[in-house]
Formats: sequence, C-alpha cells, structure tokens
Amino acid sequence: MISVNEAITCFRRDLTMSTLLKAGLGFGVGLILALHFVPMGKFDPTILLMVLGAVWLVLWYRTVKGSRLAAESSSLLASGRLDQAEVQIEQSLRAFSMSRSIKSMSLLNLAVLRLAQKRWPDTALLCREVLSAKKGTPEHVSKSGRLLLADSLLEMGDLRGTHEALAGLYNHRLTLAEALNLLRVQTDYLARIGAWESLCQGLQTKVELAETMPAPNAAKVQAMLALAARRTGRAEWASYLRRRVELLTDVQELTGERPILWELWEK
Amino acid sequence: MSETPTAFLDVPHLLEASQPRPRPIWAWYAMLAAALFILTSTWAAGQNKQLQNVVQPLGFLLMLGVIIGMSVFASHAVKQQRQEQQRLEAVEELVQLRRWDQAGAMLDALLAQPTRSGAARLQALIYLASVLARYHRFADAIAVQNYLLENARMDPAATHSLKVMRAMALLHEDQLFDVDKALSDLRRVAPDSAGLALVEIYRDVKTGHPAEAIDIVQSRLPAMRAQLGHRVADVHALAARAYDLLDRDAEAAAAYERATLLSPAEELIRRYPELAPLGEKYTPAAAPAKEAAA
Repeated sequence: MISVNEAITCFRRDLTMSTLLKAGLGFGVGLILALHFVPMGKFDPTILLMVLGAVWLVLWYRTVKGSRLAAESSSLLASGRLDQAEVQIEQSLRAFSMSRSIKSMSLLNLAVLRLAQKRWPDTALLCREVLSAKKGTPEHVSKSGRLLLADSLLEMGDLRGTHEALAGLYNHRLTLAEALNLLRVQTDYLARIGAWESLCQGLQTKVELAETMPAPNAAKVQAMLALAARRTGRAEWASYLRRRVELLTDVQELTGERPILWELWEK
Repeated sequence: MSETPTAFLDVPHLLEASQPRPRPIWAWYAMLAAALFILTSTWAAGQNKQLQNVVQPLGFLLMLGVIIGMSVFASHAVKQQRQEQQRLEAVEELVQLRRWDQAGAMLDALLAQPTRSGAARLQALIYLASVLARYHRFADAIAVQNYLLENARMDPAATHSLKVMRAMALLHEDQLFDVDKALSDLRRVAPDSAGLALVEIYRDVKTGHPAEAIDIVQSRLPAMRAQLGHRVADVHALAARAYDLLDRDAEAAAAYERATLLSPAEELIRRYPELAPLGEKYTPAAAPAKEAAA
C-alpha cells in the first residue's frame, strides 16, 4: 500500500523529471536544427533528430500506458473494487509519465480511494497537492479535487476550509455528476452551519437532482432537506421527504452517521 | 438520384454508419517516404561532397515539415476526439435527467457518422439501447444489446447491467423462453443483483404468479433498496400489482402509496403498462405543491 507521502514524492519527482525532459527535448531539437547550418563533413544532423524522435515516441508510449492505468483505476473505483484499484493506482503513480494531467488524475484517484476508506486527512493532503499547482492542471481535475477536498474537510469538521473549497467551484461550469456531488457536500455543509433558509432555496430542483443519486446519497440529501423544511415551517415538505428517506435507507444507519437528523423522527 | 431520408433512430443504419473509420493510411506512407528520403539522401551525400550542400538543407526542411505536420495533425485529432467525448457526456447527462427526446436526437446525429473511437461508439450504443427502451421500441433495443454483447468487450459490471436491460426488454416483448434463458445466465453470474430481482418480480406479475413476486420482494427488499435508489419505486409498484391480483387491497394500496411517493404514477405506468388498473383503484401519494418550495 502506497503511503500519501510516498505518492506525493513520486508525483513531484515525475513533474520535475517531465519538465526537465520536455525542456531537454526542445533544446535538443533546436540545437540539431541549428547544426544544419554548420558544415559538419559527412555527418548529417538529421539522423540525431530521428534519434530524438524515437526517444519521444518511447516516452509517449509510456504516457499512453499511464493514461490507460489511470482510466482503469477510475472504473475500478466506480465499481467499488477498492483493493484492485489500490494496486492499479500504485502502479500508475510509480510509473513515469510525461503528462501532468495523468499524474494529477492518478493522485486524485488515490484521494478518492482514501475518501472511500474514510481516511479524510489523507484525502485532504492529496487534494491540496493536486490543487497547489497554479498552471497545467486540467479543469476537470481541479474541480474534482476541490469537491473531494470540501468533502474530506467537512468530515474532519473544518467548516471554514469546506467553505473555501466550495467557493472555488462557483466560478466553474459543472457537469451533472459534479453538480450532484456539489449538492451533496453543500447540503451537508449548510445543515452543519444551520443555514436552513439557504437549504430550502430551489427545494424542488434539489429534490429532483437528489432523485438521480445513488440510494445513500439520495437519502442523506433528502433527509437534510427534510430537516431544513421542518426548521423553516414547511411541514408538508418535511413529512414528504422524511417518508421518502424511510423508503430509501435504514434510518438507524443514517442517523448514526448524522445524529442531527434524529430530529426528523422525534415525536 | 436523391437519398432516402433515414427514420429516427434507425438501428441497422446507425450500427453500420457509426463504425469508426480506419486511420488514414496515407499519413504512414508519407512518414515512411520522408524517412526513406532522408536516409537515402544522407547516404548519397556521403558519397558526393557537392550533393551534400543540397541534401542537408533539403533534409532539414523536410524534417521541419514532418514535425509541423505531425503537430497539426495530432492537435486536430485530439480536438475532434475531445468534441466527441463532450457530446457523449452531454448524452449521458440527458439520459440521466430523462430528457429522452434530446438524448435521442443527439444519439441519432452522433451515430449517423463514423465515430472517432470504438470506445465512444460502444458507450453511445449503450445509451441508444436505453433511449429505445424508453420509447418502447424493445425489438430495436434488443438488437442493439445483442450487437453489443456479441461484439464488444466490456467490464463485468457493464455486461451485467446490459444483460439485465436486455432481459427486461425481452419480457416487454413477451419472449418468455428467452427471458428464462437470460435470467438463468444472470443468476449464475450475480445471484444477488437487484436488477435481476426486479426482472424476476416483473416476470411473475406479468405471467400471473403474484405470490412468487411478493416472496421475492419480501426477501430481497433491503438489498434492492440499496442498489436501485429511487428505482426501488418499481419494486413497490409491482408489489402493489401483485397484492392487487391476490385481492389483498389494503397491502396493495400501501405498496402503491410507497411507489408513488418515490416516482410519479404516470412514469410507473409508462414503464409497466400492467400497472394501469392500479391508477384507477388506489390513491397515489400526495406530493407537496410546487409553489410551496419557492
């Protein structure tokens, strides 16, 4: 099992290496092109250019391989095969790749895995590492990183950090999957800070979106909305959503995870 | 001669037209020719000093052309692939949001021409099968699903979900012998699947075995609830029909109320036409007025 520090070290090492290699290759190409204007007897510098091309092809092949590993890890995580995903992610983090985006993706996959294992501080550390780069991180990676960071900080009880991570997302155009994730984390966050009126804004749309989530998330979001409806005097909505939650999940389990929700079942 | 316009979501046409185009072979020939030219001219220049003065700048220009050409070609290919991926993601979202008309129109356009990659085509065909089932074009949906199961390599979870969809479509088409075969196959691989249980419940309701349907609901409900999310409404609705067939009206009314609490009655009846009598007999759960949310 790869440790978080080890993963971050691999990530930084590969980024430095790939920057140096790219610069070296660029410089080499420039130098070889310039050599064409210098009389060199029988030697043709174009041959050197072909050698550089071959080096580039080998590195590109490794990058494609890394990209495949990262994609496979994502689908293993999605299907809940965490042990296999862990092995795959470790391989992809240890293998060298020229692409920053593939390396970031692998680190983010590790963050998703640690989140599933409820190792929140590890997730936060990994997300912060991915987000620390100002340039070169693809937008989808940075959006997922922010969502994961907000999620882990919320679990750790760091409400200020959660707010900051969420605030960074409002300037981005989100995909449906990202919007659903944001709704889940935001609902939980607003319930923690007791912003019941804000929670009830666009209630109908939030409920419709929650319907497309997997059962545990659909139940949790609707339970939080039910609590907000109850606290703001929307009794009809509170009862409707509470009954839905009862059909979607085990209430004992849900309230064990979020004790604030007990209020919905109190007489 | 004018071309006959194809029908909306014409499956044989879309399966044929969406085959990815093979990579242009001329690009490989051109690169091979350039490499051959450089090697031959370098060798020739080695034999003749005067020729060297001509060959070196020429080789330089050719190499520069190859580098620029390859960069432009690669960037164009990546851009087109990204566009295709974005269209596919849009279809996925439309299917998830149940905007079937828009999803169908996008799939019709996407699959009417060769896709950039086989994986994108595969994904689009999976969405196409869902859209066709939604339009109750089950024979077409089965054709797409059979094509995918015979020709595509998918991970076990995707294969299982496709087989469940196919079994459901076969049941809608009343192909009971094939349904039994499909269910046996599913039971062998994933006996605890909620999708499998849902198809079994529907088969029992459809073929007049309500007691068996109720047995499955009672024994498998917690697992189905965890796996199906809001689609567990289908289970409650089919249970309501099973109770109704057994004249256990109170239980039928309660199950129908649970079902309509999670999903609108019209949507459930559209999915399973056998549920239509329930709408006339029992009261659906009342949803809060939309204005109240404002």
